Amino acid sequence: MTKLNYSCLFLLFFVGLSHSLGAASEKSVVDEIKNAEDRFDNRSVPLVEQVVDEAVLAKEEYQGGSFRVLARKAKIERYKCSSCHTDKPVTAQQGALLTHGDIILKHGSEDQGLSCIDCHHPQDRDYLEDKKGRKIDFDHSYQLCGQCHFRQKRDWLGGAHGKRVVNWAGERTVYNCTTCHNPHSPRFEKRFPATYSVELD
Amino acid sequence: MSSKKIKNEEIRAASLLEKKSTRRNFLKGLSIAAAAGSAALTTGCIPAADAASTEELKLRWQEFFKKNYRLMTQEEKDATVARLERLSKLNANLDVQMGSYPPLDGVLYGYAFNITRCEGFMECVTACVKENNLDRKTNTQYIRIFEMEPGQLDPSTGDGQYYHEVPVDNKFYMGTQCFHCEKAPCTKACPTKATWKEPDGIVVVDYDWCIGCRYCQAACPYYGRRFNWGKPEIPKEEVTRRQHYLGNRIRPMGKMEKCTFCIQRTRKGRLPACVEACPTGARVFGNLLDPESEIRYVLKHKKVFRMKEELGTDPKFWYFID
Amino acid sequence: MRALHERNLRTFLTDVIRWNLRGSLGVQLFRLVLVGFMGFGVYAYSYQARYGLSVTGMNDIVSWGFYISNFTFLVGVAAAAVMLILPAYVFHDPDFHRVVIIGEGVAVGALVMCLTFILVDLGGPLQAWHLIPVIGIFNFPSSILAWDVLVLNGYLLLNGLIPAYILYSHYKGRPADERKYRPFVFLSIFWAFSIHMVTAFLYQGLPARPFWNNPLMGPRFLASAFAAGPALITLILAIIHTSTTYKIDRSVFNKLRLIIVISAIINLIMLFSEVFKEFYFPTHHSISAVYLWFGMDGHNSLVPWIWTSVCVNLLATLVLAFNPGKNNPKVLLPACLFLFVAIWMEKGIGLIVPGLIPSPLGEVVDYLPTWVEFSVTLGIFALGITVVTWLIRAALIIEQNYSGV
Repeated sequence: MTKLNYSCLFLLFFVGLSHSLGAASEKSVVDEIKNAEDRFDNRSVPLVEQVVDEAVLAKEEYQGGSFRVLARKAKIERYKCSSCHTDKPVTAQQGALLTHGDIILKHGSEDQGLSCIDCHHPQDRDYLEDKKGRKIDFDHSYQLCGQCHFRQKRDWLGGAHGKRVVNWAGERTVYNCTTCHNPHSPRFEKRFPATYSVELD
Repeated sequence: MSSKKIKNEEIRAASLLEKKSTRRNFLKGLSIAAAAGSAALTTGCIPAADAASTEELKLRWQEFFKKNYRLMTQEEKDATVARLERLSKLNANLDVQMGSYPPLDGVLYGYAFNITRCEGFMECVTACVKENNLDRKTNTQYIRIFEMEPGQLDPSTGDGQYYHEVPVDNKFYMGTQCFHCEKAPCTKACPTKATWKEPDGIVVVDYDWCIGCRYCQAACPYYGRRFNWGKPEIPKEEVTRRQHYLGNRIRPMGKMEKCTFCIQRTRKGRLPACVEACPTGARVFGNLLDPESEIRYVLKHKKVFRMKEELGTDPKFWYFID
Repeated sequence: MRALHERNLRTFLTDVIRWNLRGSLGVQLFRLVLVGFMGFGVYAYSYQARYGLSVTGMNDIVSWGFYISNFTFLVGVAAAAVMLILPAYVFHDPDFHRVVIIGEGVAVGALVMCLTFILVDLGGPLQAWHLIPVIGIFNFPSSILAWDVLVLNGYLLLNGLIPAYILYSHYKGRPADERKYRPFVFLSIFWAFSIHMVTAFLYQGLPARPFWNNPLMGPRFLASAFAAGPALITLILAIIHTSTTYKIDRSVFNKLRLIIVISAIINLIMLFSEVFKEFYFPTHHSISAVYLWFGMDGHNSLVPWIWTSVCVNLLATLVLAFNPGKNNPKVLLPACLFLFVAIWMEKGIGLIVPGLIPSPLGEVVDYLPTWVEFSVTLGIFALGITVVTWLIRAALIIEQNYSGV
């Protein structure tokens, strides 16, 4: 091989090497993620723990299709509301307690906060009512909360708000709005942290 | 004059070297003294040898000579896990279920942290400590939460040792842990390849292969790694029994450890302990290769950033704001 | 000395042992003190082996401390033997030829100390066999620590076997065949530079530690090594000259002084360059330097340490450079000692600990070695001195006997 051939070969090798090195340094996991568009079968993952709490199928869908939300009706102590809230008058022996005197309503700003009727259906107390007059089930309160808190609802559907229950894989079960937020006083209370970090000596 | 002095010295040196009878006595005395001295030293030096049964000694012998976990076949992995379970029973009378299950196909774990939603409750820290059997004596914590002043994102400007009612107005909270970098400087630094990135993206440590040189700890830019400076102490009733060889099994002294994205849970489809414990839902975890996962939603729709991105470590842990 | 025809490898070893167990009362007392330190060092290490490295002052932030500081400094001392080999073999300086073997003895002693420091610093020393290729895993070429293991052991072999061959030939009364070892001598010259650059790269290659992650670490290590190493060798040669019959010419000391001065000046220039970069426009990357030179958040334990080191370094360099006593050993020898100690301070604790403080998340702690670290370190220094005295004593006896023959 002539000197020219050798130098051409060397140049080619060098260009190839630098190209591969350059390409390697620009590759990031973000590129790998962008190219991962194949559907992943969540159900193929063998789960070791199942969701024990009762969950219902959500009335809306997220980017992966249908999902479940934790049911709330079983957690409401005095459901069904219609057992008291009928046309007939009720003798209230423990009046203060039975008339929901224990509920502190702190939803919204100080002077312009929400009232009971803003969410609860005035006639059918077993349901909630949104601003368009639609009846909303307690298990699907997100349809009501999402009317005002539409940004959080959009995030909650996608997964940036709220949390999955127990598993990242398998059928998607998420926490309902009211599982975490007390609907009458939704802001999280201030509290002491669960622990602290010690300074290294 | 000086040459005579040198000559005298040479004669003296030569005569010293040739005294045979005293040499023998001297060496004899020296060897006795050395034997006595070394006996005294060793009795003071040997750590109290526990009355170990032959079965335990045999198991420890086999454990000492085993290969690096990554090079083992599945049978060898199951064998070492069985030995470790038995040793745990013999040593501490503790029944554990240790797994050696491999990574799931088509999975690359990713994590997102919502710095608007974190309120500094540190439930994640306690859950992690409990789940991963961290040493209680030194208060080892994989997760660190910083109380930050708005306007600065650097954790060095924050307070990592707060203990007061949270959240404080006008402060935000940011958490760090091992970020499981795709281009981890720690795995490159390890001289024995005792730490590596698994195919599902988790950076793991083979605790029995680690020699404890702590080079990986020097190489980590995120304070992700912890070293077992002493023997870890966990109250027996608080030990998490479901363990994984590369995850939350109780580590030996003198070995490096770190967050493993709760490998014992996530490889079985469960959420890591920190994600499950967070009361505000500030932590998001999932499969980066699943376009329908929550983590992909966050990366697509939220403004995300990573810590010290300029270092080129390519971590799989993003921060985002609501 | 036994008769020539009786000498073989076995007698070589027994003679070396014999020569090192004899001596005047002063020498024996000195040896006893060293053995005492080594014994206490072993006891302290056993305490550490039992309770773990928690008995040292190290923690998750300052994960490397006194042991690794001394290791770093001593690799430089080992590399400095090249400053005797270069004039002897490349420039064929006959005066240096006489003292080369002493330099190689110092290098072997320093290397033994380095390897021992690494061993006592390991959390799992019983697992050290995991480093051996084939039966373990050796992460070469990715891990710089793997490179370091390779080059240090290679240098130990070179500096152990070449003098061993020469001394054994002289012991047998015949000249050593220079054609056999000359290529290895040249290899050891390049190797000496490489051991210290590789050790510097250990720290230089970590982007997580901005205090270390600068291109000047490698050259700075070489400059400080070639100042401190020859300073130590000067002191050792002075001791040999005064307490034995092995006489060393004045010119060796003068040339060594020149080497020390040039290296010390280059070291100071590099120090100035580093300080300028850190403090002209301090960035987030300068916080380690701020901690070291000025203290941070109330933690300022290293501030007097580094300022003392730099001032003594500067003073000693000036004394050695301007030579006020006109080569008076009473001036130059203390200057060498002070320079050695100053560089030990700055390159040991003054380099390793600030690199790790503040932590990557900005937390500041102070570091102080515990009695365990001090005792083990003293024990290892005693071991090094023992190795050096054994090698030099044997070498000088053989050389004197050979040249006398």
